[in-house]
Amino acid sequence: MAPGALLLEAQREYEKESQKADEYLREIKDQNLLSEAVRQCIEAAGYEHEPETQKSLLRAASFGKCFLDKFPPESFVRTCRDLRVLNAIWDYQIGIPLTFAQYKQLTIEVLLDRLVLRRLYPLAIRICEYLRLSEFQGVSRILAHWACYKVQQKDKSDEEVAHAINQKLGDTPGISYSEIAARAYDCGRTELAIKLLEYEPRSGEQVPLLLKMKKSQLALNKAIESGDTDLVYTVVLHLKNELNRGTFFMTLQKQPVALSLYRQFCKHQELETLKDLYNQDDDHQELGNFHVHSSYSSEKRIEGRVAALQNAVDEYYKAKNEFAAKATEDQIKLLRMQRRLQDDLDKPYVDYSLHDTVYGLILDGNHKRAEHLYRDFRVPDKRFWWLKIGALAEREDWEEMEKFSKSKKSPIGYLPFVEICMKHHNRHEARKYAARVTPEQRVKAHILVGELDQAADAAIEHKNETEMNLVLSKCTAATDSSVAEKINRAKAQSLKK
Amino acid sequence: MLLCLFLPQLPGKKDLFIEADLMSPLDRIANVSILKQHDVDKLYKVENKPIVSTSDQLCFLVRPRITNMKYVADIVNADKATGRSRKYKIIFSPQKFYTCELVLEEEGIYGDVTCDEWAFYLLPLDDDLLSMELPEFFRDYFLEGDQRWISTVARALQLLNSLFGPFTNTYGIGRCAKMVYEVWRELVEESEGDSQARRPEISHVFLMDRDVDYVTALCSQVVYEGLVDDTFRIKCGSVDFGPDVTSSDRSFKVLLNAQDKVFSEIRNEHFSNVFGFLSQKARNLQTQYDRRRGMDIKQIKNFVSQELKGLKQEHRLLSLHIGACESIMKKKTKQDFQELLKTEHSLLEGFDIRESTSYIEEHIDRQVSPSESLRLMCLLSVTENGLIPKDYRSLKTQYLQSYGPEHLLTFHNLKRIGLLTEQAPGETLTAVESKVSKLVTDRAAGKLTDAFNSLARKSNFRGISKKLGLIPRVDGEYNLKVPRDMAYVFSGAYVPLSCKIIEQVLERQGWLGLEEVVRLLNGNEFAPTEPVTEENPARETQRVILAVFLGGCTFSEISALRFLGKEKGYKFIFLTTAITSSARLMDAMLEAKV
Repeated sequence: MAPGALLLEAQREYEKESQKADEYLREIKDQNLLSEAVRQCIEAAGYEHEPETQKSLLRAASFGKCFLDKFPPESFVRTCRDLRVLNAIWDYQIGIPLTFAQYKQLTIEVLLDRLVLRRLYPLAIRICEYLRLSEFQGVSRILAHWACYKVQQKDKSDEEVAHAINQKLGDTPGISYSEIAARAYDCGRTELAIKLLEYEPRSGEQVPLLLKMKKSQLALNKAIESGDTDLVYTVVLHLKNELNRGTFFMTLQKQPVALSLYRQFCKHQELETLKDLYNQDDDHQELGNFHVHSSYSSEKRIEGRVAALQNAVDEYYKAKNEFAAKATEDQIKLLRMQRRLQDDLDKPYVDYSLHDTVYGLILDGNHKRAEHLYRDFRVPDKRFWWLKIGALAEREDWEEMEKFSKSKKSPIGYLPFVEICMKHHNRHEARKYAARVTPEQRVKAHILVGELDQAADAAIEHKNETEMNLVLSKCTAATDSSVAEKINRAKAQSLKK
Repeated sequence: MLLCLFLPQLPGKKDLFIEADLMSPLDRIANVSILKQHDVDKLYKVENKPIVSTSDQLCFLVRPRITNMKYVADIVNADKATGRSRKYKIIFSPQKFYTCELVLEEEGIYGDVTCDEWAFYLLPLDDDLLSMELPEFFRDYFLEGDQRWISTVARALQLLNSLFGPFTNTYGIGRCAKMVYEVWRELVEESEGDSQARRPEISHVFLMDRDVDYVTALCSQVVYEGLVDDTFRIKCGSVDFGPDVTSSDRSFKVLLNAQDKVFSEIRNEHFSNVFGFLSQKARNLQTQYDRRRGMDIKQIKNFVSQELKGLKQEHRLLSLHIGACESIMKKKTKQDFQELLKTEHSLLEGFDIRESTSYIEEHIDRQVSPSESLRLMCLLSVTENGLIPKDYRSLKTQYLQSYGPEHLLTFHNLKRIGLLTEQAPGETLTAVESKVSKLVTDRAAGKLTDAFNSLARKSNFRGISKKLGLIPRVDGEYNLKVPRDMAYVFSGAYVPLSCKIIEQVLERQGWLGLEEVVRLLNGNEFAPTEPVTEENPARETQRVILAVFLGGCTFSEISALRFLGKEKGYKFIFLTTAITSSARLMDAMLEAKV
């Protein structure tokens, strides 16, 4: 007799409260076969179909285990669980007569698949829960299958189905509403699919299906909602191919985010489309900008550039942006002028700013032309004076500078003359102008030319303490001690008063 | 290093083409020898020139931009035309965009190239400073309305959240901040479950859009680090000091961070203190050198082996910073820096607007600096809520005469982004004002006209400034050596708005009581519904706050918040899309000549 059989017998006797139980047990134990006996009982239980027999075998195993020190519990527990599952599917209402060996061979996943195929969803879910399978592998997968089946039930309305599905699925992790929606769409239930997609939390998953269903408007909305520009681009460029140009532009009009993204794209990839877009919007301001941009980026010839700018002028006027229009007109005038200069003087002038052009002319001694530009473009007096003395100094044309300084009263005063002369290290010239600065600036001018003594005199004359301190700070002990003394004396005197 | 994972995918010798923007960041993490180890033969910059590479394998490390795709396409198509076959690989940083693939497809080379993504989000520039190195964020989002980088920022945030979070209290203001916040929340929900509950190292986050506060970014920086940035342009935490600084014929590349012992002590100081500090430091160094006199052999041996190297290093750094200071002083006094600052301060305070306007006009007329002039115009506009139409026209005309007509487009951009606008007619008392200013030109009357103006105008900046007390009332001199508040970063004349907002919100744990300010800032604020207060406020650890700047932050703002942190016992960590400055903001508005 096998030890397992003996153990079963022992357990039975034990239940009858007979001392035979002890005898049998001793017999097994003496041969050192108790753990083998327990193992046999557990295994045998697996092969039994009758729950009663399974139970008694397992009871025997359990009984035997009590007399063992270290019998690993896993096999017992596992068998109990497996039997529970097997008993459930052996039930006549289910009727899957799998043997234990077959079941082990197939694995639980396959069994679940079979149950799903037979639409035995509740049982499958119960099994998953009982076996504590991870949600992703178990419950979610089955619910998804259920939902996919559910969408095929034509007799129920879209609302009902969608509601039922959401009710059951909630936001179980691992559920992809978009997959279910895709199934619904495959069954021809577009509306249901859209409803289901509403439950999809990840916009990235919604958009491709919506596009497939040709719900591009909705897809665009969803993409924009998601804040993912990549997604928006996907939809926009899809739309571009799907719709005719007019409708496409109209669609973009309604979606400023998409429109600005598409403009970005066009700026680099399709300049002509960009122009069309602006045209469609009657966005004359942008059209003007567009022409200005092309006047210096894509056009090389002067005529082309002038033409582009002329276009810009027209657009700016339409946009009622008179400032920009006037500025652009000036630019056309300047460009033409610059080209003439370039031809006449054989020097590059095109593409310089007005300021630089005038500066260049003075630098080359073309005072007449410079004067002409100054009047023609209504360059402010101040600017012209700054610019002219700068250029003259750079040319070291001190004579002309003096002439200029006497031409009329300087709008910028004479301190800049002093500064610019000193910058070019011409102290002699600087002195001339230092004498002409306004009294308020006199101290500063004298300091600039390095005439500290006179600066001190001026400061003392003004009785201005900050000026005195300024002079004082420029004094060095070695050379200007007399000046410093003079100031200190004056300061002391003013304090007394 | 992640990039090294990609390079072996193209086995054998290859040439690497790197986009200019990515050069400095790459340099921070991988030097040439590492690249050489991975069979990179030659390194090229991506630029608009025909390439000369002879390698059979080309690798491109680029930003996902259409122009870059065209660049690659031109190369591939040129090769095809000459019947040359090579392998091409494009590595996108930080991610690939659909448009790029589309352009590759349209150019007919989609099948010829392989693509990869280098998910490079954060570059730690310093102990407390993380940069995404996305300078284009500013233009892309605020000017072009392109939201492509939002998810990138959200992902960076999520990365930090998973490493140092969970972030329990998230505050923010601005439309972009709100979007980033929402996208980030979604990412959190998607990944929920994998993070186990633990005590967060960073619990507070504050997100802010650059357009909430343009004023601060437009001001001249006078804190040492900011000034170095304005003068020499710090790139990826390091700066090239030219020959005028190093007083040799070479230029030095210096890494500026907390590791630099000299720099770390002066970076947050007002410039006026820096010289004094440096000379003190020089004296200390000298005494330390001098110690070796009177040492016996053993002590000298010790000194040489242990201290000398450190001292030498410090000496070198010290002389570099002194050189930098001198160079800054030279440049700044030349342009009459003091006068410039005075103008800025009166703009901030809203006094003598007429005078400031003519100062700006002269600045433009004399062609002092194109970006400086533009910056001053913007500062005038932003603080005054737009220029009066007369000035708007005349300043623009002057600017075009000085710097060329293409700036018509620059002005259009500036208007669109709100940096340089025109006051709507009817809002002003222009006619009255101009009459008054014609009648009287002396200063007292000038103030009178300004008083007139402030009655007429509803200036948001003025309102905000008044509400938050951004212009400190100072009796006597502001002591820059011992600063009292964050205003020290602007010589005590102005508390940076962005930093003030952060301070207020953290103090109040929300926006309660700031409703009026929020309204003036155009809303879009958010705060946690129930701020999670620390279970044990007496806990020893510091409160760590992540300050996120969308569109860039300046070194002055960083210095101000570091100061605030010291005062209040917070620790600020900065996450910015890039380090910015007024010059960079202005550059971003230019319409490039191609």
